[in-house]
Amino acid sequence: MSEHKTDVPYGTLDLLILKTLDTMGPMHGYRIARRIEQVAENLLRLNQGSIYPALIRLEEQGWIRTQWGISETKRKVKFYSLTRAGAKQLSVEVRNWERATALVARFLEAES
Amino acid sequence: MKIRFSLARLAALFRKRRMDRELQGEILAHLEMAERDAIAAGLSREEARRLARRGFGGIEQMKEDHREQRSVRWMENLSRDVRYGMASLARDPAFAAITVGLLALGIGANTAMFSIVDAVLLKPLPFPEPERMVRVVETPTPTQRNNTTTLTFLDWKRQTDIFDALSVESVTRAAVESDGNPARLTGKLVSADYFDVFDVKPVSGRTFALGEDQPGAAMVVVISHALWQSMFAGDPGILNRELKLDGVSHKIIGVLPSGSFDRDEAVFWKPRIFTPEQMNRGQHVWEVVGRLRAGVSLGQAQAKMYILRARLDKELANFKDWGFAVEPFGKVLVGDTLRRSIYLAFGAVVIVMLIACANVANLVLAKGATRQKEMALRASLGASRGRLIGQLLAESLVLCVLGGVAGVALAYVLLRAAAPLVAESLPFTADLSLDVRVLGFGALAVMTVLVLTGLLPSLQTSFGKLSNALNQTSRGSSGSRAAMRRTIVIGEVAASVVLIAGAALLFKSLEKLQHVDAGVRIDHLITMSADLPASAYPTPESAARFYHAVVQRLRLVPGVEQASVTQRLPLQGAAWGEYLTLPGANEPLLVQVKMIDPGYFDTFGIPVKSGRGIEERDRAGAPPVMVINQEVARDLLGKFNFANPVGRMVGIDVAGYGPIPESHRDVQIVGMIRSERTGGLNAPVRSAVYVPFAQAPQQDINLVVRTQIDPLSLLSGIREAVRQVDPHLPLGNVKTMEQVKQQSMLWAKQPTWVVGAFAGVAALMAALGLYGVLANAVTQQRREIGIRMALGARPGDVVSHTLRSAFAMLLVGLAAGLAGSFAITRALKSLLFEVSALDPVALALACVLMTLVGILASLIPASRAAGVDPMTVLREEG
Repeated sequence: MSEHKTDVPYGTLDLLILKTLDTMGPMHGYRIARRIEQVAENLLRLNQGSIYPALIRLEEQGWIRTQWGISETKRKVKFYSLTRAGAKQLSVEVRNWERATALVARFLEAES
Repeated sequence: MKIRFSLARLAALFRKRRMDRELQGEILAHLEMAERDAIAAGLSREEARRLARRGFGGIEQMKEDHREQRSVRWMENLSRDVRYGMASLARDPAFAAITVGLLALGIGANTAMFSIVDAVLLKPLPFPEPERMVRVVETPTPTQRNNTTTLTFLDWKRQTDIFDALSVESVTRAAVESDGNPARLTGKLVSADYFDVFDVKPVSGRTFALGEDQPGAAMVVVISHALWQSMFAGDPGILNRELKLDGVSHKIIGVLPSGSFDRDEAVFWKPRIFTPEQMNRGQHVWEVVGRLRAGVSLGQAQAKMYILRARLDKELANFKDWGFAVEPFGKVLVGDTLRRSIYLAFGAVVIVMLIACANVANLVLAKGATRQKEMALRASLGASRGRLIGQLLAESLVLCVLGGVAGVALAYVLLRAAAPLVAESLPFTADLSLDVRVLGFGALAVMTVLVLTGLLPSLQTSFGKLSNALNQTSRGSSGSRAAMRRTIVIGEVAASVVLIAGAALLFKSLEKLQHVDAGVRIDHLITMSADLPASAYPTPESAARFYHAVVQRLRLVPGVEQASVTQRLPLQGAAWGEYLTLPGANEPLLVQVKMIDPGYFDTFGIPVKSGRGIEERDRAGAPPVMVINQEVARDLLGKFNFANPVGRMVGIDVAGYGPIPESHRDVQIVGMIRSERTGGLNAPVRSAVYVPFAQAPQQDINLVVRTQIDPLSLLSGIREAVRQVDPHLPLGNVKTMEQVKQQSMLWAKQPTWVVGAFAGVAALMAALGLYGVLANAVTQQRREIGIRMALGARPGDVVSHTLRSAFAMLLVGLAAGLAGSFAITRALKSLLFEVSALDPVALALACVLMTLVGILASLIPASRAAGVDPMTVLREEG
C-alpha cells in the first residue's frame, strides 16, 4: 500500500455513498465500495467492509432503500438506491461540505 | 413481570436474526466478487482471497458496528415515533379522549377485578407453608361436613405422625370495661397449640404453653395487635397487665403481630379447657384446624385418618356411617359459590375489555382510512413498511400507556369504593390492594390491549396498496378495511349477547329467588341482636326473666303489634343440629334446633297446623316440650312409620347455658307448625324442631318486633324500651326483616349485578361500534346515496338500506352470540336457582335487547343518510 493514502475523512463516507448512488444508480455493496476506491484513484484507504454499517444507517434514515437482486457471482444480494429524501439529503450534505471546505480553505489562506 | 419485556425482546430478536443473516450474505457476496475481480487481474486464487480479505477489513469489528447502528436507529425511531404519536393524538383530542377512556375502562375494571381474584383465589394464605394447613371434619355423608366431639378430637390429636398441631376453635364473647364503659369483645377459645397451626410468632411475650389448656391451668390470654393498640394504647409494659373478661382477671401473656390476625373479628384468644361433661362422643361441637407434619401429603393424611376411623368403629357405633376428612384450609375459607362468583365476574370483565379493545381497534381503523395518503407519502419518501407499522404501533403504545395509567387509577378508585361492599363476602385473609402483582397484571393487560388494538389496524393500513392511495382522490377506506370493521362489530355484538344472556339468566334466577315463599312474613318486622353478658345474667333463670320482661315492655311501645325473642332469625340458619331419638327406633333423626319464645310463631305469622305452639306455661321446671315442623312430621312418618307425632315423647340433647353443659331430655311434641325456611331461600326446607327459650336459655339472642307502621320509625321507642329493662345492654345488627332477606340473597345478587352492569357497558360499547361503522359508511356513500335519490329513491328507501346493513351485522352477531351463550352459560349453572342455563325466555330477551340497542345505534346514521340532498352532493363531487 502506498504511503500517500489517507483515511476516509470523518463523516464523509455517507456523502461518498450518497453521491455514488446518485451518479451510478442502484448498485450492490461491493460495487459501491469499488466505485469509491476507483474515483479516489487509490488515494483513499477504505476498509470496504465499513460501508455496510454506513449503508444500514442511511437506510434507517430513509435516504436509501434496498431491493434484492443477483450479483455477478449469482448470489442474492441487496441493491441500494437513492430515495427522494436521500437525493434531498445529498444536496444538503454537498452544500455543508462545500461550506466547510471553503471555510477551512479561507482560514488556511489567511494564516499563511 | 417477565412477560412485560419479552414481547419487545422477541420482536427485536427476530429482527436481529434476520438482519445478521442478511449481512452475512452480503459479506460473502462481497468477498466472492472481490476475489473474482482479483483473479481476473491475474492473481492466483490464494492471493486473490487474501487480497479480498484485506481490502474488506475486520469482519467481526464491522458486524459489531453494523449492529450498533441498527439498535441506535431502532431506539431513536421509537422515541421519535412516540413523540410523533403524541403530537398526532394532540391534533385529534376527541379521538384521543374516547380511546383513552375506553382503554381506561377496560384496563381499570380488569385490574380491579384481578386484585380481587388475586387476594381471594391466588394469594396463598398469609402464613408459612399454607399447604400444610387443614381443617379436619366428620362426614355424615360424603358431601356433608360436621363438627366433631371431644373424645374424637383427642383421638385425632394423638396422631402425631399426621399432625404437627391440631386445635379446636370456637368463637366466644366477653364483657370488658374499657375507660369505664361496658364493651363486648369477640375472642376465640382454642387449644394450646393453636398458633402452631398458623405458625405465628407473637411480637411480644409468648403464646400458650403445652398444658395451658388442661384443667387447673392459670387464666391466661393472648391479645391481637389491634386490641393492644386500641385498648392499651400500645403500652410496652403490656405483659405485666391483666385483661378482665366477664369480670375475671386474665394474665396477658402475648401480643400477636398486626396483619392477618387483625382482619378477623376476634381480638383475644383463651385456652379451651375441656370439662368432664364434654368428654363424650355425642356432642358434635368442635371445629378443628391443624397443621400437617412436614412431608405428609393431604392424601397420606386422609388415608391415615381412614385407618383411624376403621379402628374407632366400636366407639362410634352411633355414627357408623360417619367418616373423617382432612381438607385444605384455603378451600374451606373460600366457598364454592364465592369462587364461582369471582370467576364469573372476572370472565365478564375480560369480555368487556375485549369489546373495549375492539372499539378502539375500530376507531384506529377508521382513523387509518383518513391517513392513507399520509402513509403513502411517507412510504414513497423511503419509509419501509416496518417503519410505518412501527410508527402506528408507537401511536397505539402512547394510547395504551395513557389508557393503562388512567385504568390503574380507575382501578384504585374502584377498589377503594368496592372494598367495604365486597369485604363482607370475602374471607378474613383477603387483602385487597394494588400491589406489585396487580400492577404487573395491569401492565400485562396494557400489552395485550396494545397487540389487539395496535397490530391489527397497523397491518391493515400498511398492507393496503400505498401507491394507489396516492393516486386516487381517496374516498376513504378500502373494501377490506370495511369488511374488517364489520367483523369487529359483529364480534362485539356477539360478546355483548353472551353477557346480556348471562345477566338475563341471573336476573331471572334472582327474580325467582325473590318470590320464594319464606314461610314467614317479611314486612313490618324489625330485628336486632343482643348478647347477654355472663356477669349480668349468670344463670339461665336470669336470662329467662329478661326475655319475658323485654317482650312485655316492647309490646307496650305505641305502634308495636307483637314482639318476640329467638335465638336465630328465619333465613339465617339454625344454631345447630341435634339427633331426635325415638322410642323403639334404632336410628336417630337429624334435625335443626331453634330456641324461641311464645311470641315467635305469632310475630312471624307462622300458623300452627296441629296441637299448639309454645306458650307461657312452658317455662323452666314445667314439663319439657317441643314443636316440630311439617318436614319432621313427614320424616317421622316416612322413615319410622311414626304417625300422629303430636303428643308423642322423643329424646333430644338440649344445649346448656354458658358453662353449663347440655343435657339429654325426654321431650313431648305438643304441636306442628307450617314449615318456615330456616336456611337460605334457595335451600330446601329442612327438618326443624322448636324448643321454648325459657326451658333452654341462651346468651346469644335476637329481638323481633312487628309494627303497624314503618318499623324503622319506631326504632327509638324500641331502643328506649330495651334500655328500661337493661340500661347496659348494647343492641347490634338492627335490620328490618326485608334487609335480612336481601342479605340472605347476597350470594346471588352480587354476581347478578356485576354481570348485569358489565352487560350494560358491553351493549353500549357494541352500539358505539355499530354506530361508528354505519356513520362512516353513510359518509362514504353520500355520493351514491345522492345519485340514488336523484334517480327517484325516497328517503324511506335510503333509511331501510342503512338499517338492512345494520340488521345484517346484528343478525350474524346474535347468532354467534347465542352459540357462545350455549357454550358458556353452563358455567352459570351453579349460581342459577330454578332457571335452566338454556332458558329460552332469557336468551330471547337478550337477543331482543341487543337488537333494540342496535337499532337505536343505527337510527342516527340512517336518518343522516335520508337527509342527504342530492343536488349538494353531486355538485360538491363534480
